[in-house]
Amino acid sequence: MEKHDKTDYWNWLPASFALAGIIVFIFATFGPPASSSGFVSLLKGILQSVAPGYVGTKAHYQMLPGPDSWVFAFVLGMAIGGFIAGRTLDIPVRDVPEIWERRFGPSRIKRYAATFIGGFLILFASRMAGGCTLGLFISGSTQLAVSGLYFGVLIFAVAMLTARLVYGNTGKEGT
Amino acid sequence: MTKILLGLFSGIAFGFVIQRVGATSADKMARAHLMMESDIPKFMLTAVIISAVGLYGLQTAGVGRTLILPTSLVATGLAAVIFGIGWGLCGYCPGTAWAAVGEGRIDAVFAFLGGLAGAAVFAHFHEYLVPVLYDPTNFGRITLVDGIPVRPVAVFLLVAVFTGAVWAVDRLWGRRDAVR
Repeated sequence: MEKHDKTDYWNWLPASFALAGIIVFIFATFGPPASSSGFVSLLKGILQSVAPGYVGTKAHYQMLPGPDSWVFAFVLGMAIGGFIAGRTLDIPVRDVPEIWERRFGPSRIKRYAATFIGGFLILFASRMAGGCTLGLFISGSTQLAVSGLYFGVLIFAVAMLTARLVYGNTGKEGT
Repeated sequence: MTKILLGLFSGIAFGFVIQRVGATSADKMARAHLMMESDIPKFMLTAVIISAVGLYGLQTAGVGRTLILPTSLVATGLAAVIFGIGWGLCGYCPGTAWAAVGEGRIDAVFAFLGGLAGAAVFAHFHEYLVPVLYDPTNFGRITLVDGIPVRPVAVFLLVAVFTGAVWAVDRLWGRRDAVR
């Protein structure tokens, strides 16, 4: 691991305060709490223009806010925030993460296929549970919701297990 | 309109912070899952602790709106397992993938496209899946306050347990990062 890869990131503690400040701001100004899987509103927007009849018959799309909503403005903002932060911090952005490359080689196709499947699973699951890491675990636990706590315990445990299976001992050897 | 601008502003700040702490890096996330680097999990847990105290403050002052999602033993649990597999496999969750797209990571673009496909498939089968998976074991919008009716005590309990978790992560996760 190169040095610059680590040191330029913020320390986790002040970053936690910054993030919590934003979350509390959201509760104070808008609440229904933030949800980043809200980017599926885009899907509703696209489908509505392509196949309005289909969207009209599907219960799930009736529940989803459209692209003219707070939630979609929020996720759009997240991408802008990521863009600004990325442009103002000197950390090399890789398309294939280093740890992945050590395990599976530099093939972009392999990595992109894996993230596509991973993305499929996390959003399918988020729609099933009604939220994601932010919408269900972080926002939920903040509100003392059992759903958020239950979801949180399981996602961490399963992700850790999955990462073990995916990476084997690769990480340990390389560091 | 104000609503949209507030959302946009909150999102920009949010995306900025999670990029700065390294959560948009699938490499860092994988190392967190492999118990090699503890920054991201400590960050997430601590953000919940502070937010919970902050929200309690808001509620005491009578400000803010909340939305509790229902707990369905089967659907929430099964979804969490599927989510965990996807998260462990690609190192992105929906929010970090989206902010990582903004950052310019191409693998995140594919996670985003996969996400749209996954959401579309769920939406298509919503009418079949929800009555089978969600409804039968739905306990409703339960919170810790249903078990511990004194809200400050419930908040304190959450803070205590999460603080314990941060401490445990700090102790158990190997300190393999040579440079901090």
